[in-house]
Amino acid sequence: MKKFLLRISLFVLVLFIVDKGFYYFLYKAPELEYDQRLEKVINGKINKDIIVLGSSRGAGNIIASQIEKETNLSSYNLSYIGSNVLFQEFILKSVLKFNKKPKKVILSIDNTYEFVFEKTLNFKFDKLYPLSKYNYINNELIDRKERSIISKVFCLGRLSKNSFILKKEEIPTKNPILPCGSMPFVEKSKDTKIEFLKDIKKYDSKKELPEKLKAFKNIQTICKENNIQLIFALPPNFNEFNTDFEKRFRKLMLPENKIIIYNRKNPIYKNQEYYFDALHLFKNGATVFTSEISAFINQNR
Amino acid sequence: MLFNSINFAIFLPIVFLLYWFVTKNNLKFQNILLLVASYYFYACWDFRFLFLLIFSTLLDYYSGIKIENSSSEKNRKFWFWLSIGINLGFLGVFKYYNFFVDSIKDVVFLFGHKIDLWTIKVILPVGISFYTFHGLSYVIDIYKKRIPVETNFINYATFVCYFPLLVAGPIERATHLLPQIKKKRTFNYAQAVDGLRQILWGLFKKIVIADNCAEYANLIFNNSDDYSGSTLIMGALFFTFQIYGDFSGYSDIALGTSRLFGMELLKNFNFPYFSRDIAEFWRRWHISLSSWFKDYLYIPLGGSVGGLKLKIRNTFIIFLVSGFWHGANWTFIVWGALNALYFLPLLLSNTNRNYMKIVAYDSNLPSFKELVSIIITFSLTVFAWIFFRANSLTHAITYIKDIFTSKLIALPEVRPTFVIVLVAIFILIEWIGRRNNYALEKMFTEKSVFVRWSFYFVLLFAIFIFSTKEQEFIYFQF
Repeated sequence: MKKFLLRISLFVLVLFIVDKGFYYFLYKAPELEYDQRLEKVINGKINKDIIVLGSSRGAGNIIASQIEKETNLSSYNLSYIGSNVLFQEFILKSVLKFNKKPKKVILSIDNTYEFVFEKTLNFKFDKLYPLSKYNYINNELIDRKERSIISKVFCLGRLSKNSFILKKEEIPTKNPILPCGSMPFVEKSKDTKIEFLKDIKKYDSKKELPEKLKAFKNIQTICKENNIQLIFALPPNFNEFNTDFEKRFRKLMLPENKIIIYNRKNPIYKNQEYYFDALHLFKNGATVFTSEISAFINQNR
Repeated sequence: MLFNSINFAIFLPIVFLLYWFVTKNNLKFQNILLLVASYYFYACWDFRFLFLLIFSTLLDYYSGIKIENSSSEKNRKFWFWLSIGINLGFLGVFKYYNFFVDSIKDVVFLFGHKIDLWTIKVILPVGISFYTFHGLSYVIDIYKKRIPVETNFINYATFVCYFPLLVAGPIERATHLLPQIKKKRTFNYAQAVDGLRQILWGLFKKIVIADNCAEYANLIFNNSDDYSGSTLIMGALFFTFQIYGDFSGYSDIALGTSRLFGMELLKNFNFPYFSRDIAEFWRRWHISLSSWFKDYLYIPLGGSVGGLKLKIRNTFIIFLVSGFWHGANWTFIVWGALNALYFLPLLLSNTNRNYMKIVAYDSNLPSFKELVSIIITFSLTVFAWIFFRANSLTHAITYIKDIFTSKLIALPEVRPTFVIVLVAIFILIEWIGRRNNYALEKMFTEKSVFVRWSFYFVLLFAIFIFSTKEQEFIYFQF
């Protein structure tokens, strides 16, 4: 028995030592990422007056540098392509934990998918994995059952197969990240043809997911507790506006928060030239929508 | 508590140290500790069903004593059938009640009528099929006077609830495990090291092979309408390795864990995918269940004595019951029937016992004929697994139809290179170790500590790196 326990202890010790060699991959992973916005957040480098949160529609339709110029308030866009409201809540909490609290938060809303199941909108674990060297991120992954608690002790527990691909991520040519964090679409697909949709489905609130509603409520509570003005932005889609969703959304809003809906009378929002696809504006469309947001902020100071 | 969870990684060393140090090799204390640990292990899943487990244990324990001590045959029969009836009754209610009700409703509906029958909303107690079979075999063996009754409740309860096999087998026999429980156990270094090695291999099979294959098998099966024929074949192949890695991985961890406590469990898998015909496959797949059905169903039904018709009938019965044992769904019954059909030609030609030894026992590679036989048997098995994995019979039939109707000869849309490479490495390791109890048993054991440990580290690194989310074992649902 003594021999057995001795051998086991030695084995675990050697494993522990060898494991530390893998820290190289953990250390290297963030550098290989093209999108380094989350790391900036964790390192306390996002001290801005206005923070924009959202999914790809927030990233592409709202240009933070333009808001900064038009409102004289420093702005940064922390919207992530394919992210859902749960991830946006996490980003907001991270900003508040490591940075000076912003004066305003603009939350871009995915009308009409914000609260229902949508397979393209998720908690962006892929943005967290490369930052596993940070305990804050690793703990978040443990809490969300993406990592085992063993990763607190072993470096290997924080790595995945992608950690060994020591190749820098490629820059997306369609929507590169601007210094202000926004990602407007600057290159159109050649064969994209979209049609303006007049018949829209009725919004069914029964399909809403409780976890998404909870995250949305949490974002409002966090902003209220921190005295941050929360502005909801509803960008255009290449279809008729869904008033059912708007009614439902207003019911979920706290009265102190503001909402800006794109100018439905503006004909450009029915012009294909201003769209990248049915759900995302092209850069020229984003500039128009952003200026509407800036005007709204200036009016509601 | 899952074998592949951090909770088990804490639980196991604690029980191990208490078992060998605190009980000071006192058999009574060791068994009490194992029983308490087993109940705790089970209660971690859902403590409410612990009472069902204890009731089932008490019932069989008491029935066993009554059967043994009854002076009249009538009394013996009474206690025997009471135990069998209640055991199967629990299984029927928790596992099959809704299935029967829905099937009756469907049949009545076919004749243009509608009936309202109650269905019940109840979760299936984990391991019920396994511990019920433990109890059944014990009571049957006493009734048939194959074994003496166990009068010590702790010993009997430990046999039924022993945590390594409690939730997904192997399905033990009183003749095999009870004597070990009653015998004084001393620590055996070689056995314990071997146990750890088997646990490591089981974890590799589960975490690296099964869980990674599961990701793609689920993707393809859950969206089968969207994929080409070649991708659907990939889906079936991924599931084939998922279920093997999952269940045989579980069994390896169970056997290895038990060795740490000085007890040997029945072997459950013996390299089934290297089988040369379906009869050999069934001698190598889920051995403890196959042999249970053989001993407690096939032989009492008359077995293979008594004419061809009887043989065929009995074969179909055990395959159908085996399918039904897996779950209350027609897919499992069809899976069982399909395997019976595969088996039939071998039975009729009396060639079902052709291959008793592992393939290429005396050589490194199989002959061409053996290779072809393995590929054919493997393909038949993969085909049958489609029924096992599909959500319904309609899904299975559509899945198979789609294989042949859309782009069968095309590059699959889903072809994760890393999973394919991992499976290839896995097959290679299994092939090299096929003559042993499990693939790793003797691998590098003659080499230096440096080589041996390096190999174990590589396996551990793979477990860390390729681990996905903690996933339940498939056989927990049975």
